[in-house]
Amino acid sequence: MGNILLDVRNLRTEFATQDGVVHAVNGVTFHLEEGETLGLVGESGSGKSVSMLTVMRLIPMPPGRIASGEVLFQGQDLLKLGDEEMRQIRGNKIAMVFQDPMTSLNPVLTIGTQITEALELHLGMNKDKARKRAAELLKMVNIPEAERRLDDYPHQFSGGMRQRVMIAMGLSCSPQLLIADEPTTALDVTIQAQITDIVKRLKNELGMSIIWITHDLGVIAGLADRINVMYSGYIVETAPVKELFANPLHPYTVGLLGSIPRLDEGRREKLTPIEGLPPDLVNLPTGCPFYDRCKFRTEKCLQENPPLMSVGVKHWSACWHYEAVREQRDAILGRKFMQPAAA
Amino acid sequence: MTAYLVRRLLWLPVLLILISLVTFALGVYGPGDPVTVMMGLRANPKIIEQVRKEYGFDRPFLVQYFNYVTNAVQGNFGYSLVKYQGQPVGALIAKRLPVTIQLNFVSILWSLPLGIALGVLAALKRGTWIDFIIRGFVILGISLPIIGLMPVLNFAVARKHEIGPLTIGPFLPVGGWEGMFAPHIIMPAFLLGLGILAIFTRQTRAAMIEVMTSDYIRTAHAKGLKEWMVIVKHALRNAMIPLITLIGFVLAGLFAGSFIVEQFFSIPGAGALAYESLLSKDYYVILAFTLMAATIYVIINLLIDITYAFVDPRIRYK
Amino acid sequence: MNPRPAWKETWRRFARNKPALLGLLIIALLLFTALFAPLLAPYDFSKTNLDNVEKPPSAEHLLGTDALGRDMLSRIIYGARSVVFVIIVVATISLTFGLLLGAMAGYFGGLSDTLISRLIDFLFAFPDLLFIFFIAATIKPGIVTQLRTIALANQWPWLTEFVRSGYADYLVVIISLSLLGWAGLARLVRGQILALREKEFVLSAQLVGVSNWRIITRYLLPNSLAPILVAISMGLGGIALSEGILAYLGIGLQPPNPSWGIILSDHVVRYWRTWPEMIWMIFIPFIIMAAVVFAFNFVGDGLNEALNPELQ
Repeated sequence: MGNILLDVRNLRTEFATQDGVVHAVNGVTFHLEEGETLGLVGESGSGKSVSMLTVMRLIPMPPGRIASGEVLFQGQDLLKLGDEEMRQIRGNKIAMVFQDPMTSLNPVLTIGTQITEALELHLGMNKDKARKRAAELLKMVNIPEAERRLDDYPHQFSGGMRQRVMIAMGLSCSPQLLIADEPTTALDVTIQAQITDIVKRLKNELGMSIIWITHDLGVIAGLADRINVMYSGYIVETAPVKELFANPLHPYTVGLLGSIPRLDEGRREKLTPIEGLPPDLVNLPTGCPFYDRCKFRTEKCLQENPPLMSVGVKHWSACWHYEAVREQRDAILGRKFMQPAAA
Repeated sequence: MTAYLVRRLLWLPVLLILISLVTFALGVYGPGDPVTVMMGLRANPKIIEQVRKEYGFDRPFLVQYFNYVTNAVQGNFGYSLVKYQGQPVGALIAKRLPVTIQLNFVSILWSLPLGIALGVLAALKRGTWIDFIIRGFVILGISLPIIGLMPVLNFAVARKHEIGPLTIGPFLPVGGWEGMFAPHIIMPAFLLGLGILAIFTRQTRAAMIEVMTSDYIRTAHAKGLKEWMVIVKHALRNAMIPLITLIGFVLAGLFAGSFIVEQFFSIPGAGALAYESLLSKDYYVILAFTLMAATIYVIINLLIDITYAFVDPRIRYK
Repeated sequence: MNPRPAWKETWRRFARNKPALLGLLIIALLLFTALFAPLLAPYDFSKTNLDNVEKPPSAEHLLGTDALGRDMLSRIIYGARSVVFVIIVVATISLTFGLLLGAMAGYFGGLSDTLISRLIDFLFAFPDLLFIFFIAATIKPGIVTQLRTIALANQWPWLTEFVRSGYADYLVVIISLSLLGWAGLARLVRGQILALREKEFVLSAQLVGVSNWRIITRYLLPNSLAPILVAISMGLGGIALSEGILAYLGIGLQPPNPSWGIILSDHVVRYWRTWPEMIWMIFIPFIIMAAVVFAFNFVGDGLNEALNPELQ
């Protein structure tokens, strides 16, 4: 750890639609160190997937448009690369695994073809070598009879198996960065655990960095080193994972924590949903985007959108009233968080 | 998959028997008593009786049907009664059919690949002026009635001829057939292919747009594949599958087009023959033509369904 | 569950589509012309005038006259009647049978599905024009003769008139077109119903004891309306085209009755000599036919996009 692998600065992505311009990502800034696992958390429409698709330059343009920003990968701005140069990075140095394994694999090509094509392209392997490597990859993600299954089609695999194939495909060229876009959301809970275990193990074996997108804080609690919480295209809080769970300092993060069940607490507590809806991304408010749903709101929040402010060690929050959050969050959730004195 | 194949193959003979039974019944008895129709109302009843015996019309229907089918299978479809009096129908059609097949082949050859290419282009350039123009052409191709377009284009390239009702022009047949490589095939093949071009462009565009927005295309892009590889290997393969079923429609369209185009340009093909026989009520020719066309059509449609199942692994492995 | 598309929203999307609106206007014009043909036509469509043949458009005859001196405009106007007549009759018959039998096959399954599906397969075994050709060649003469005999035997002047007017010839063509249209539509409806039958809202309706008829008419058909509507509006253009083609080939309406196909074939045969001076005689029926087919296609496209917004 230590070296910065990915440095995203002030990234903005928009989509032109019939109803107006949708502001999907609104000035996102964060970085990722080598070997680090970053969780990207938020509800649907929070811009977490779009921001990563922008990093991969997989946004369909038009209607999409990258309005501003830099994406420095190993010091090189990906947004300034030509299509061909970018293509050589995709699937090679940065790989991406998608949410729905049922639709993300091509139904008319065998698994073998779909894994080997990246190997042949990026690593210049010949057919035999690529096939051997593909079988190794399948073994790595615990697929039995790997060699035989290379000739099978996606529909012959179960959902969990397909997601393993997707991960094997993502890892095929040993990328420095793996972006996983809700890879477990479409799967059963037991399978989810298997997949996260596999990723955790492979991360240690291969020493890559991971950005894991999810709407479920519970999934990445044991996986991520650090978490970015996103809301309507902004990062609203970022902190190391333990710190975030113990000491959330944004009302939205508090709300998220309130809506996941915890097994380590003595009594069964009430889950509290966050009421209300996120703002319309076409007409974003000038103030804080969370204003409508926030218990801490004041006139200031309506006037000015809070920037990310340093609130602790490696801990930033975009809330004018993070002190108030710290004091009142226990009462809100009926749960004990870290005491202010300890922070 | 095997069960599906067996079911389809078992249904084929049943369908063919049904088709032949109905066409035979209608073809022979549809217009009224076949012998009276052949000889006219004022013919001598004695002679009618004789002809009736000679042709076997006095026997039970099923026997007649059985005889007809056994003969037909051996290539004996009876004799022309009107224009080509006495000539065996099988030989008549056999002589004319290659012309129609050549013409249809050339029509498909230029229009189908071009249609797919234009459809892909329109889908990739969706929303741009290229897409706009291609879609405009598609609407034209589908809407312009061939019976009007044909004379207009014909006259546009034809030169006036003093002697008689002959149209002479660089791309026009002159009432004969000089094979599929002669330039005279250009105009009829162009007209016949226009509908195929329009339909394939439209459907390819729709299929490609659907496929290009699918998750697995995003996966292919995420792998860093070259753009042409994504289009050809990943998108086109999937988009082609639903297009296979279109070939049946194309075929039906060609049957219809052949009547019109061959008749208009006096091309001595099977379509023109069928049309002549229809107008002159040459029943054995019509009957044979309908039976053959329906049989070919049914078998090709079966082949299409089987191909469809083979191309799509989701069906193949069921 | 939204039982049917929101009509206002659909109309808003449709109205944004200018070609579709133009199509709707052309169709309205066609219906108007067909309905009021006797009032609109300046002359009797069959009145010949051998002193005034093959005249180009003039103030007297806006679209000129044909080889028998008949007024082209009046013939074109009456030709609209032929198209509209065929479209309405064929659409009504195929819609009724297509919806009814398609829904039955899809909803009840089992024997009724097997029988109906096999019947559809059988009808689809013939390329469509060939099918009509065959019917026209075999059954038509018999039926027309039969009708004439019945009219004579019973002294029914209206039937004699019907046969004489040439519309009896149409009967067979219309029946064969309907037979084909019916089968195509039924296949589509069956597929739609089959997909919807297992949906929760249908199962719950069945559990509560809603009658089959009510489930089909209130639950299933409204929910499969969008693709059916699109298929119909596209199909109408095809029917209009078939009417012209059959008349052109001499299978449909018989001369001297005016159909655009007949007007075309008259002139295609006669006027090759006088090309290009007589261009309008082919051009006018050609353009009008194209406009009508255009109109139905545009409306179908517009409906398709308005009902499936994700397509565009």
